[in-house]
Amino acid sequence: MRAIESGVSIPLSSVKPLDGQVRYRAFCVQAMRQALARGPTVRRDRSPVSGAALEPFGSVEGLEYRRCPDTDSLFLAELPEAATWARLLREVAQQRFAPAGDDSQLTQLRADHVYAPKLEWIQDTLRMHGLQRPSLLEAATPPSAMSRLLEDSGRFSAVTVVDEMALAHGAPAGPGAGPAEVVMLLESLDRVDDPRGLLEGVARRLPEGGLVFATALVSSGFDMAVLGLDNLYLCPPDRTNCFSLSGLARLLIEAGFGLIEVSTPGVLDVEVVQAHLHRDPTIRLSLFERQLIGSTDAAREQLQAFLQRGGLSSFARVVAKKLAAAGDAGTHSKRNQEGKVTR
Amino acid sequence: MNVLLFGYGYMGKIRYRVLRQHPAVRAITVVDPAVDPATSGLGDALLPPGAAIPWDGVEAAFVCTPNYVTAALCAEALRRCGRVFCEKPPGRNWEEFCQIAEAAAATPGHTLVFGFNHRLHPSIQAAKALVGEGGLGEILYLKGTYGKSGGLNFRRNWRSQLALAGGGILLDQGIHMLDLFHLFLGPSLSVVEAVLNDGFWGCGVEDNAFLLLRSDTGTPAFLHSSATLWKHTFGVEIGCANGYVVASGLLSQTGSYGREQLVIGKRQFEDEAMALGNPREEIIYFDRDESWEKEVQEFLAAVAERRPARHGTLEEAQRVMQVVRDTYAVAERRAYKRGAS
Repeated sequence: MRAIESGVSIPLSSVKPLDGQVRYRAFCVQAMRQALARGPTVRRDRSPVSGAALEPFGSVEGLEYRRCPDTDSLFLAELPEAATWARLLREVAQQRFAPAGDDSQLTQLRADHVYAPKLEWIQDTLRMHGLQRPSLLEAATPPSAMSRLLEDSGRFSAVTVVDEMALAHGAPAGPGAGPAEVVMLLESLDRVDDPRGLLEGVARRLPEGGLVFATALVSSGFDMAVLGLDNLYLCPPDRTNCFSLSGLARLLIEAGFGLIEVSTPGVLDVEVVQAHLHRDPTIRLSLFERQLIGSTDAAREQLQAFLQRGGLSSFARVVAKKLAAAGDAGTHSKRNQEGKVTR
Repeated sequence: MNVLLFGYGYMGKIRYRVLRQHPAVRAITVVDPAVDPATSGLGDALLPPGAAIPWDGVEAAFVCTPNYVTAALCAEALRRCGRVFCEKPPGRNWEEFCQIAEAAAATPGHTLVFGFNHRLHPSIQAAKALVGEGGLGEILYLKGTYGKSGGLNFRRNWRSQLALAGGGILLDQGIHMLDLFHLFLGPSLSVVEAVLNDGFWGCGVEDNAFLLLRSDTGTPAFLHSSATLWKHTFGVEIGCANGYVVASGLLSQTGSYGREQLVIGKRQFEDEAMALGNPREEIIYFDRDESWEKEVQEFLAAVAERRPARHGTLEEAQRVMQVVRDTYAVAERRAYKRGAS
């Protein structure tokens, strides 16, 4: 299995500025409350990763999060039923990708610094596995910022976008229902109400040896761990599930996938904490954390590099391979791991 | 499959471990008169001292012996069973390599593989997938450094004695890098210049070798092979039209060469002024080396399927031995010139 460190440096303001996140978060929270008010709702008492009883953790704007005792992953406790949840995700996705207005430069910067590197990651990995122009399935709630990029790359024989909620809930065959050699889940596991169901849906579409590319914002990462529930980037529905890195790996393994890459090549952790501190100097940070954040640029860069190498950044990337019999009915049993998570 | 394994030193032990795990291997007989049966832990697998080598029924032989035994034993094994896995180097010199090649030519349907496992290391395989049509484009140059520090017993070791080893660090360790150069640059590498030195160990074989090579299309390659790198080092840098890769560290038993990794850098477009000269890099860290298993697996598969192996072939061995031969010849000429001036 591989782990990855990225040498790229991107200012937070170039890709997801905190001010913009505050506005987006307010929209999400309001939409979330409205969805819950429509009822009925589902309460999650068991960890989607290990099945253990979830423990109290705290709340974000009054929305309760619970913690998996086995993996330290966080899960939103109460969700609307699936159809309402799917509508909510669509509503939020429209907001996320709404025309940027004065921020057209931001849109371009995100394309250059967020989406293009993801495409490179996928392309390089495919090359290393000798996959020539595979068919690709992107699970997302439309609109997807990646679809056009994937199609234009010419690296795939076909690019199909399927609704992540439909895939998670075993929707009957429809357009794009055919098999694919590669599946992409960009933060889909964070959003859907049934992440295990999503992986089972993915496994049904993949042949043995087919690859899954997944990204997630993980609770074990630096800014998530330091800021906890004060982290303004932690809110539903985008972060309905906030897995720890080990929780994410375990979820994939138990769904019948072998791990090829588990890495945290994030570049923004330190800057995210710095931006929170700048916005609210009274935020809860230890003296040592304040020293870290207040140190020199060079020291902060080295800290970020250390977080990447150590699997301690909050941006996680996983490549997994479908093993024999993954996705079969009732497969929740443990399977052999291709390699162990090492740091 | 019944396997004979000659030599139970560092490499022999690795091969024995891998062979024991292979499902097609029924029995392994280890032949090594230097091994004490009482302490080897091999039990019945070790041929008793003085016993005749049991060639009958042998389906494959592994030659993991010191260099001075390799060629004769490899040729003998080819004649006896026709399926031979031989550790590098393929003989102490070009003449001994030719003995092996002649024995192979005289054995129709033979399977002969040489142990050049480095090309199967994960960083190298990943680099190979990314250069050329893998996106990084045409290779512009290649630089490799491979070295170790010797150690307390270095002077006494057979590897440091010309008569037993046939050469110094270039033949012992640098040969792996030469194989990698061929893997990336193709079959025809010629020696442009070579400087060898025996400056520290004084064993009569080179403890440092600097080679400047050129491919048939003109691509330059540079190798530093050393027995005086006090920090164990393995690194190969491949510069390409659209970026570069740097493989370094080796997943080895001791881990002394550092964590195996591959740096991937992409050339930035010229209009990205901020990134000029400081491109985006990714580092892939690897945690599993399956090169030994892959190497043996391919050999045994080739034996079972009665086909040539896909790597470690006689042709590949010939290419590296030609470069070694030419390097020693260049170095000798240079030394003669220096002495005459």
